[in-house]
Amino acid sequence: MGEIGSAHDTGVLRTFVGSCVGVALYNRRLKIACLAHIMLPESKGRSSQPGKFADTAIPKMIHQLNQLSHGQTVRWSAKMAGGAKMFAFQSGMTVGDQNIQAVEQILRNLDIPLLGKCCGGTQGRRIALDVATGEMTIETMGGNPETI
Amino acid sequence: MPIRSLTSQTDLFRQAAHEASDALSKWLGRPSRIVINNVAIMPLNEAVGVLGVTDAPLVACAMGITGQYSGLLVLTGDDASGLALADMLLGREIGTSTKWTEIEQSAAVETANIIGCAYLNAMAVDPQATPELAAQPLMPSPPAFLRDYAAAVMQSLLMGQASLAENVFLTHTDFQVDAMPGKCSLLFIPEAEDLG
Repeated sequence: MGEIGSAHDTGVLRTFVGSCVGVALYNRRLKIACLAHIMLPESKGRSSQPGKFADTAIPKMIHQLNQLSHGQTVRWSAKMAGGAKMFAFQSGMTVGDQNIQAVEQILRNLDIPLLGKCCGGTQGRRIALDVATGEMTIETMGGNPETI
Repeated sequence: MPIRSLTSQTDLFRQAAHEASDALSKWLGRPSRIVINNVAIMPLNEAVGVLGVTDAPLVACAMGITGQYSGLLVLTGDDASGLALADMLLGREIGTSTKWTEIEQSAAVETANIIGCAYLNAMAVDPQATPELAAQPLMPSPPAFLRDYAAAVMQSLLMGQASLAENVFLTHTDFQVDAMPGKCSLLFIPEAEDLG
């Protein structure tokens, strides 16, 4: 939870999300990818674990990706999944909804295209990000896997 | 609510777990015993795996708690334990229930209600509570049933505390009931604001 993983060439980055969101940034040509498990929309000045918050995680991801691309000018793409309302007694705008909105806004501000998303609902998700292709496979309990 | 140190109230939580075990035993008409009774502060990632599973299905019946304490009280277990519990309540041979239809879910939710209330009743007699706190009745919400990946369930339960800190506080009790395969667990996860 609240962590960021990155890799290049091959491999699969994995996480589970409920109301949290899994955000992937990647470049298919360079085969570089990064996956964050974001818990909350805003850090409000807390910086000890940047992966935890949308407003600190995405800049941190870009920093890690830029290191892996050795400073090349790269256009990153994004995908995301999660943001579920897990419990029936959660009402109003849930943390999941806020996470989705925050990530979308930050990506717009950074001009990073969001090429796929699988968000909302009431179920947790198992996410696997293929580093080489940028394909994100999302599984839900009892459902068919979806690839975006 | 005035802040107080829940973390110093280990004896109260352990006593509440014993009351819950007694209630479970009476409710099922079978002996129940506590095999784990922990009160702990731990790193978030450790807490997510406290039940020993992450990608397996986990059944949870969660109640929101308000009053003297606020937080979540959750009865959890794997499919085999939960469905066996339903069979016991419905007077069926264990192994009869194979999926979570409305009747099995109802049995699980009612069990959460019974043992959750026993737990809360024990907590309500907290000798350290100020008169102001003691006057606030502990109120559980109706239990909400959920079956999902264990990691996703645990993350969502811990979200409130995890949003404010890197370590989380929870109480964790495992019960074994005669003839039940595996165990069921009761977790109490206080709101971060109550952790003095």
